[in-house]
Order: sequence, then C-alpha cells, then structure tokens
Amino acid sequence: MDNLDASRLQMAFTLIFHIVFACIGMVMPFFMVVAHKKWLNTKNPVYLKLTKSWQKGVAIFFVIGAVSGTALSFELGLLWPEFMKHAGPIIGMPFSLEGAAFFVEAIALGFYLYGWGKISEKFHWFTGVIVGIAGVASGILVVSANGWMNAPSGFDYINGEFLNIDPVKALLNPAWFTQALHMVLAAFTATGFAVAGVHAYQVYKKRQTDLHKKAFKIAITFGAIAAILQPISGDLSAKDIAKRQPVKLAAMEAHYETKKGAPLYIGGIVDVEKKEVSYKIEIPKALSFLAFGDFNAEVKGLNDFPEDERPNVAIVHYAFQTMVGIGTLLLVVGLLFFISLKKKTWWLNNKFWLLFVLLAPMGFIALEAGWIVTEVGRQPWIIHNIMKTKDAVTPMPGMIYSFYMYITLYSILTVAVIWLMRRQIKSLNNSKLV
Amino acid sequence: MLYVVLFFLMVSLLLYVILAGADFGAGIVELFSTKKSQQITKKTVYRVMGPVWEANHIWIIILVVILWVGFPEFYNVLTVYLHIPLTLVLLGITMRGVAFVFRHYDAYKDKSQILYDWMFRISSFLTPIFLGMTAGGMLSGELIITQDYELFTFYELFINPWFNAFSILIGLFFAALCTFLTSILLIGEAERDDRRIYVKKARNATIVVILLGFIVLSYGFIYDIIFATGFLKNPYTISLVLLSAFLIFPLLKSIKQARKIMSRSLAGLQVILILIAAMVTHFPYFIITSNDKISILETASTNEVTNVLGISLIIGGLIILPGLFHLFKSFKMIKILEK
Repeated sequence: MDNLDASRLQMAFTLIFHIVFACIGMVMPFFMVVAHKKWLNTKNPVYLKLTKSWQKGVAIFFVIGAVSGTALSFELGLLWPEFMKHAGPIIGMPFSLEGAAFFVEAIALGFYLYGWGKISEKFHWFTGVIVGIAGVASGILVVSANGWMNAPSGFDYINGEFLNIDPVKALLNPAWFTQALHMVLAAFTATGFAVAGVHAYQVYKKRQTDLHKKAFKIAITFGAIAAILQPISGDLSAKDIAKRQPVKLAAMEAHYETKKGAPLYIGGIVDVEKKEVSYKIEIPKALSFLAFGDFNAEVKGLNDFPEDERPNVAIVHYAFQTMVGIGTLLLVVGLLFFISLKKKTWWLNNKFWLLFVLLAPMGFIALEAGWIVTEVGRQPWIIHNIMKTKDAVTPMPGMIYSFYMYITLYSILTVAVIWLMRRQIKSLNNSKLV
Repeated sequence: MLYVVLFFLMVSLLLYVILAGADFGAGIVELFSTKKSQQITKKTVYRVMGPVWEANHIWIIILVVILWVGFPEFYNVLTVYLHIPLTLVLLGITMRGVAFVFRHYDAYKDKSQILYDWMFRISSFLTPIFLGMTAGGMLSGELIITQDYELFTFYELFINPWFNAFSILIGLFFAALCTFLTSILLIGEAERDDRRIYVKKARNATIVVILLGFIVLSYGFIYDIIFATGFLKNPYTISLVLLSAFLIFPLLKSIKQARKIMSRSLAGLQVILILIAAMVTHFPYFIITSNDKISILETASTNEVTNVLGISLIIGGLIILPGLFHLFKSFKMIKILEK
C-alpha cells in the first residue's frame, strides 16, 4: 500500500469512528433534557433515573467524540499538510467558531453533570439545553468546512495561489446549507433509532419495561421525525450536487452515458470494465426529474469526464444505494411508530420491539454510507477542481504504520465503549428506582 | 490585528500549559504515590477537576486552529517534520481522556478500575513528555527543512529532530512542571495528613523542576545549542527566570499559612514566567532549524485573514471567558458548601 492509500484509509477510519461518537454526543443531550423536563413536570422518579443514566451516556460519548475530534483536527494537518497550508486560512472561520461552540458545550456540560442539587433547577435544566444546541452548532460548522471542499469559494485561484481570501464567503459556501441540513437530520435519525433500539431490546427482554418504554418513546420520536423529513433534504442535496458536482451525481447513479430523460437506477451491480450496471431496477426519466425537476433534462454521464477525474464508481454507487435504501426503510418504520401511538396493542406485541432492535444500527450504516458518497465521490480532488488529494498528502513515508496504530487503538476503543454501555444498562436494570 | 492574534495564541498556549498541565500532573502525582495515597489523590483530583477538565483541554484545539488559520506555513513545518511526536501526543490525549471518563463513569467499580487507573497514569506521564519533546524538536536546532526528501534518511528528517537528548530533557522538564502545578493545587484540597503528603510532593516536584531546568540549560550550553545559549545571554529571559525563582519564597510562605488561592496563583505565575522567558528568548523565531530560524511573523496569513481571525477571537473570548470563569467560580463555591 502506498503512502497516499494509507493516509486516506487512516483518515477514513478515524472519520467513520468519530462521526458515530460525535453524532450520539450531539443528539443524546436532547433526549436527556426531554426526560429531565418530564421529571421536573411530573416528578415521576422513572424520568429522573432515565435522565441520570442518559447523562452518563452523554458524558462518555461527549468525551470520546471530543478526543477523537481533537485527533482529527491534528490529523488534517498531519496527513494533509499541503491542503491545510492553503485551506487552513480559508476555512479557519468555521473551525474557530466550532472551537467556540465546543467550548460553550464543555462549559455547559460541566455545569450540567456536576450541578445536580447545587444550582437552581431551571438553570440546571437550561445548561442541558445549551449542551444540545452548542453540539448541533459545532456539527453544522464542521460540515460547512467540509462543504467548502466540495464547493470551494471565498478566494481567487490564480497561478496556483489562493488570493483575495474571504473567510465569511468560504464559510457560507454553496454546499454548506444542504450538507449541514442533511447531516443534522441524519444524526437525529441514526441516534434516535440506535438509542430506541437499545431500549426496545430491554423491553423485548422484559426488563424494567416501564422505564425502557418511556426512553424508547422519547428517542424514537426524534428519530422518526428526522427520518420523515430526511427525503426533503435529500432532494435538495441531489439537485445541488447535480449542478455543482455532476461527476459525483453520475457516480452515485453509475451513469456512464450522457442522456436526456435519464432513468433512475435502483440497486444493480456495477461493471467498471464494461461501463454498465446489470440487474438494476430502472425508473424511466426519474433521474432527470429528481436532479433538475424536468423529465427531459440532460444528465451528464461519466464518459464525459476525463478518466483521471472520476471517483471510484462502484463504491460511490453502492454506498448511495445503501443510504437511500435504509433511509426509505427508516421513513416507513418512522410512520409505523406514529401509527402505533394510535394502535396501542402493537406495543404489547414482542415483534414490534424486535423490529426496532433489528433497526438499531441501520441509521448509522446509512449515515456512514452517506459520508462515503460525499467523500469518495469528491475524489480525486481534496478541493473540488482545485487540488488533488495526492498532491496534499504528507511527504513523510511509512504512513501505513500510523494507520495500523490508529486502527488498533480505535478498534479497542469501540469494543470498550460497547462493553461500557452494556454495563450501564445492566446496572440500570439491576438498580431500584431512585 | 496580527498582534491580537499572537496575543490569543500566547494566551491559549499558557492556559493550555497551566490548566491541562495541572491535569497531566494529576496522573503523574498518582503514578508516583503509594497505594493508599493514590486512592485519595484519585478522589481529590476528580472533585477538583471533574467539572473543568474537559474545558481545560479545549485550549489545544484553539491553539491548533489559530496556528493553521493565522500561521499556516508555521503549522505546516510542525505537522510535516514533527509528525511522529505529535501523533504520540494525540495517542496520549486520547488514552488519557478515555481513561478519565471510564474510571468515573463506569457503572460498576470493579477490577477494570485497575486498568483505567494505569492507562490514566501512564498516559498522563507520557503525554507531557511528548509535548515537551515536540517543543524540543522546534528548538533543538536539529530540524532539517528540505524540498528534496531523497537527500536525507528517514531518521535524519523525522526522528532525530525530536528524539535527541536535549528534546527529551525538555520533555522531562515539562512533565516536572505539570507535577509541580498539581501538587500545589492539591495541597489546598486536602486536610491534615493528606495535606502533609502533598506538601512533601510539592517540595520534591520543585526540586526536580529546578534540577532539570539546570540540566537542560547546562546541556544546551555545553553542546552549544542556539536556543540554550540565547536563553542564557538574554537579559530579559534571565530576569524572568530569576523572578520566578524568587517567587519560591512567598510560595513556601503561603503554603505554610494555608492560603489556597495565593499559593495556586503564585505557582501558576512561576510557570508562566518560565514559559514567557522561553518565548522571548528568540521571539519571533519559534523554530530553530539546523541552519536557519523560522519567524512566526513571516509565516502569518494575509491581512484579510488575520483581521477576521482577530475579530472572531475577540468575540469568542468575550463569550467564553465569562462562562469559563463562572464555571470555575461556581464549583469552588460548591466545594465550600460541601464542607
């Protein structure tokens, strides 16, 4: 494996890891403050117990998200020094604001975790809300920086130099809004379904069902609403990509030929040699409509782009199909959940709970797949149409060892966190009500 | 605006060293304690640092962001040539943060605590050493900046600059500074017998700091390391170090009189003086290579970028610093209420 591949894998791996923890750390505070509010309103001790156990989850995920985020902020420079040398001053704005948001979050979390019974009830609850809001704000800001890599703006690129830098314009790049919206909804969907799944499993196993049903309801409400809204944001993203990064859209759909009235491919196996997709379901003219709002619009195919400016079509296509497939599934189940609120008998059926147990990891699989679409779809560019990834990589040889080290460390951490969460739930089930 | 940015860079660095330093020191104090006092230290550390430790470590992110936005070429040299020690620092920060949380938030307090404890202590000890070695790498004069990587061996370019006696000494010196800070901090949190333990630790840490400082400078002087010789020749530097040394007397007195705030402020001030001394020695040349010096000012971004960064930092500072102050203050009050 050469240095570039090793660095790319390391970056991919650390991002895949960080995203999971960052999303949970960003979304769970909202579940926590809802439970907390219910405790304040009803004084039902089950809610207090739930709040306190979720708060431990928030603390653990926040810290792991924070340390892996610190690692990433260094890795940007350590792995891609040439990129950071030029991009740093341009996208520094979202990162410095993110630093500020993150700081606010850490301060608020300090108050929340240690403030029980020590600061006024209202202020204490409010610090929990701040944790959530600051978390979402930092998520949006980081995604904005990523958006800039897809839609570089806020500078003039003259003779290989980045001149007339405008950090505000870079922050508000054309991709920031669609990407951030899609990501925030994805985070809520993924975390909502994951947390709901964990509690559904406890209900399925008939452990402390009252508490876990309450927890399930809070988490899945967030997840289901986000899942139902997600297609709107997906549509905005697709239209945006069609305009800005047509080659990415072509790879997502594995479209080789430029066509008017292009069909939408669902599934299928990509044959890169023959440049075709077999075993797919074809919906006539749908892609043209989805991308441009016109059934007869022209969609550019991969063949119209130089060979060395195309991303890995198979990976992008499969990842995109996975994301959309799971997204649709979660949307349907989200609707089922709202129906179940009317049909109470469903809640007594163990199959209902099993469904949510099986869906627990799905949101995160879709979320990772979505990031693969964005990131692999941007290749070979690190800054779209400006700088290639291979020109940005560190000149230090031997990155493969660094990759091995990170993969070992993060694998251990993943196992450790899962183990820790199991212990949390076990102790929650074993302990009496407060 | 450039100087506003530099000011924030310096403040973040100092705050990171003092606050995170005291945090690292907590693990080091534990590492070098008897079994019984380890448990006491663990509890005290958690009580003192629990609410603030996360905020303490964000200063490094601010520091990195200021560097890459404001001084991209400078940051570029660090990330390319000091890749390995920086990676080791990251590894340490990750292990430490994780261990700190695991040991306090694990639902069961059983044998796994032993593992978390050791992870916490070892990484607390090694991380500041690697941080110091990174700083040593910047200052040891062993860095080779080149366009043609084929001309040199991997060892010459990527290992030797930070893995040499001078840098290792700086690493140890920084770890000792952290221990010094924490011991002083803990004195104020302990009662009677425990208090005596921390007083003793503080005394030992002070001796080690002075001794290591002396060794670093003599080594640098003997082997003619530019940073060290410059340090010894610069009148401002020497006066700052002397002032810091002189402060030991009021520090000892305030420890004896159990003046918590006074002793902490004095210890913090001493460390700040030493750091500022190191910074003014060659300002603005913060990287000294084998044949050149790199001025941080010359690597600054364009005016437009610096202006925006400066303004963001001022606004950010206005929002964050009062909140942070309130956090520190609140939990100090709570501790008094607990007693």
